[in-house]
Amino acid sequence: MRLLLVDDEEELVSTLAERLTMRGIDATWVTNYQEALAAVEREHFDLALLDVRLPQMNGLELKRLIAARRPEMKFIFLTGHGSEEDFEACSAESGPEYYLIKPVQIEVLMAKINELTQS
Amino acid sequence: MYDHPATADSRGLHFFGVMTASISHELKNALAIINENAGLLGDLALLAEKGRPLEPERLKVQAERIRQQVRRADDIIRRLNRFAHSAHEGPTGTDIYEVLEFTLALAARLAAMKSVSLTVQGGPPLQLEVRLFQLGNLLWLYLQQVLAVVPDGPSGVVFAASDAGEAVMVSLRCDKVPATTIVAAVEQEGQPLLMTLGATVHLETDTLLLRIPKRSQVMR
Repeated sequence: MRLLLVDDEEELVSTLAERLTMRGIDATWVTNYQEALAAVEREHFDLALLDVRLPQMNGLELKRLIAARRPEMKFIFLTGHGSEEDFEACSAESGPEYYLIKPVQIEVLMAKINELTQS
Repeated sequence: MYDHPATADSRGLHFFGVMTASISHELKNALAIINENAGLLGDLALLAEKGRPLEPERLKVQAERIRQQVRRADDIIRRLNRFAHSAHEGPTGTDIYEVLEFTLALAARLAAMKSVSLTVQGGPPLQLEVRLFQLGNLLWLYLQQVLAVVPDGPSGVVFAASDAGEAVMVSLRCDKVPATTIVAAVEQEGQPLLMTLGATVHLETDTLLLRIPKRSQVMR
């Protein structure tokens, strides 16, 4: 299973990618929307984990751009806010179950990944 | 940008809200990195139990990363504390560069979201007595206007200061947003703050100038 992680905090996204790789997931990480779009053009991913707040573009908008190129991909949103506004926006995009608040417990993330990729 | 009349209080509440929300987001990121690095240490320990050797150097790197994020979180909280106190303090003697650096530190993350870098051009110490919260609010108003119209791609804002006798002159310049395009909005939205500070706005080519009296002229 191939996963793309997008978050502007490099240390966060690289460490999370390493932990997911330990759990058998082929995880690639990038820190901005430009690298994310280039990655999906080059390679196939089953799932993307997107930070809601990215430089110059929010995760919801990035999801739309990626989905236009790769309609088969699934998405999980990560946010540091946990605000009602973020929740409603993410729910409208992908459903309330695909929204996690930082800091994330990896067992919860793995459960969401398994749920999404097996459905 | 605002849905309520411009008063010093309404602008101040908005400024306080925007900054504390940004600070809370920064803190969440620091905590998330600590969480992942601590989690990775746990993962390495589990692998060691299954026979994979522990690498001491790796453990040292992880420990140092956690320490760095703790220091980062501590800095963020110190900044929040100072910001919160400034909201209820009266005029305070300070160096203008300290005020500029502090305001830029508060706004840095929000500016980075639009790929705008913030810089203070240093100079010799320049003391004034000023209401820190209201001055920070005014500087933020300028930045807010810049961030609302700045084109995509990297850009920079430079803050500088100079001695103007009984006043300090603060210059604000963005390489991609001429001051002429936003001066009216800054003057209009910032009017209550300008009055509180006894400050005035001037235009010099592409640069916005704020003239701030060295001694607070408002009743305490």
